[in-house]
Amino acid sequence: MENILELQQVSKSFQKSGFLLDQITFSLPYGSILGFVGENGAGKTTTIGCILNTIRKDHGKITLFGQEMTDADTDIREKIGVVYDGDNFPSYWTAKQLSQIMAGLYKNWDNALFEKYTDEFALPPGQKIGHYSRGMTMKLAIAAALSHHPQLLILDEATSGLDPIMRDEMLDVFLDFVQEETHSILLSSHITSDLEKIADYIAFIHKGRLLMTVSKNELAYQYAVMRCQESQFRSLDPGDVLAYRKRDLQTDVLVRNAKEAAGKYKDIVIDHVSLDEIMLLLIKGERL
Amino acid sequence: MKGLLKNNFRAVCANAKVFSVFLLLTGIFTAAVISQSLVIGYTMIGIVGFSINAAAAAKNEFISKWGKYKLTLPVRRADIIVSLYANLLLWMLIGTIFAGTGVSLSWILHGCPFDQKIDILSMFTLGISISLFSGAIFFPLFYLCGKEKSEALLLISLLVAGVLTLVIVNLCNDLFAPGITGILLGNVVLFIGSLSAFVLSCPFTVGIFRRKEY
Repeated sequence: MENILELQQVSKSFQKSGFLLDQITFSLPYGSILGFVGENGAGKTTTIGCILNTIRKDHGKITLFGQEMTDADTDIREKIGVVYDGDNFPSYWTAKQLSQIMAGLYKNWDNALFEKYTDEFALPPGQKIGHYSRGMTMKLAIAAALSHHPQLLILDEATSGLDPIMRDEMLDVFLDFVQEETHSILLSSHITSDLEKIADYIAFIHKGRLLMTVSKNELAYQYAVMRCQESQFRSLDPGDVLAYRKRDLQTDVLVRNAKEAAGKYKDIVIDHVSLDEIMLLLIKGERL
Repeated sequence: MKGLLKNNFRAVCANAKVFSVFLLLTGIFTAAVISQSLVIGYTMIGIVGFSINAAAAAKNEFISKWGKYKLTLPVRRADIIVSLYANLLLWMLIGTIFAGTGVSLSWILHGCPFDQKIDILSMFTLGISISLFSGAIFFPLFYLCGKEKSEALLLISLLVAGVLTLVIVNLCNDLFAPGITGILLGNVVLFIGSLSAFVLSCPFTVGIFRRKEY
């Protein structure tokens, strides 16, 4: 399967904060959604910054549509729609003015499509963006990101701050977008329920390191958590334990292969695992 | 580039509207009263004021995430900077038109407000040069030091631009013999000097902006 986006051992260090983005490697195939999960400050925005060239990477290679993007590659950026968390546009603009400005920036700006989205999202075109609610500004940013017919959407915490109904509406828009098999989405979020709904792949990042990248099906059908008592935990094969977390009298153990674990450890209760629980185990848990 | 120019123009519009009303009122007053110093003041405020408004609007880009968002648009970083310089020139032209209208009105109503007609040219050259020097100093400093210090940087740029202009005027007065030719030459030197600084500052700012991370 071809990839719309590929990161190979991308690193970036910040001297002042001491933060290090450490050899991030993942890929996003055409026609799919990759959920980029991690706690606040894990390195999601830094990774996105490296992809979009707003931050210069120290090492590694990033390819978009099969080529590395430089400042001069405006044609590649024509094919990318971006949404950042918070205020993407100046508050003194109206949606109508935003459309006029974007029309002067994107060759494929589709004003009719933008108006369709602003109608659908109930965004008053003549009202200043500064008077919009947070949900409305995010909807506007999503409408703008979609209205130049991009192939790749890069959404940095685009659903955070939206209420569950609005989030659901936006997730439907994203699912609609990837119906085209040449379209893909990189969606960074710490709201794991959103990613459970729409992502095909999940990449976990923690303290600048990519912990794992897996398909959602693999997570749902293969990964599991074993609820072990102390003696059971001590008898486990360390090779089976991805991460564990002690909780009072029980130890939760994340395993990669539920079937194999069920055959090997017959006395131990094995549960399906949610993204939230995986994230907690990977981030707060320990390794053997 | 068209979109960037529109964006920059809009960024200045709100302040420019208020400033235009102020200039309109002071323009009427300037035209009504016979005062040479008022005409000089009006011309300087008109030209330099609009230019400063245009420079100050660079900060607006970074109040929201728009400054960062712009880097994801199909434009080069150099285009973003060039559009800012072009915007300053545009607003300086608007200021010059305002000042020109005020001076013309005063002339129509009361005759030439100066002893020599060439003094009007000198006055406009002075305003334009201060504006160009201010922009040439402010933009690289703004991208080097960041938006938090923009007010102080703008003030410093304006003061340095004023001092530079005075130094050049004094040098020209010493270099060229008194008379119309001398004044004309002085104006040419001042204008070319400030324009060169403005033009050369642009690639310098591009170089700084290319290294910046957002």
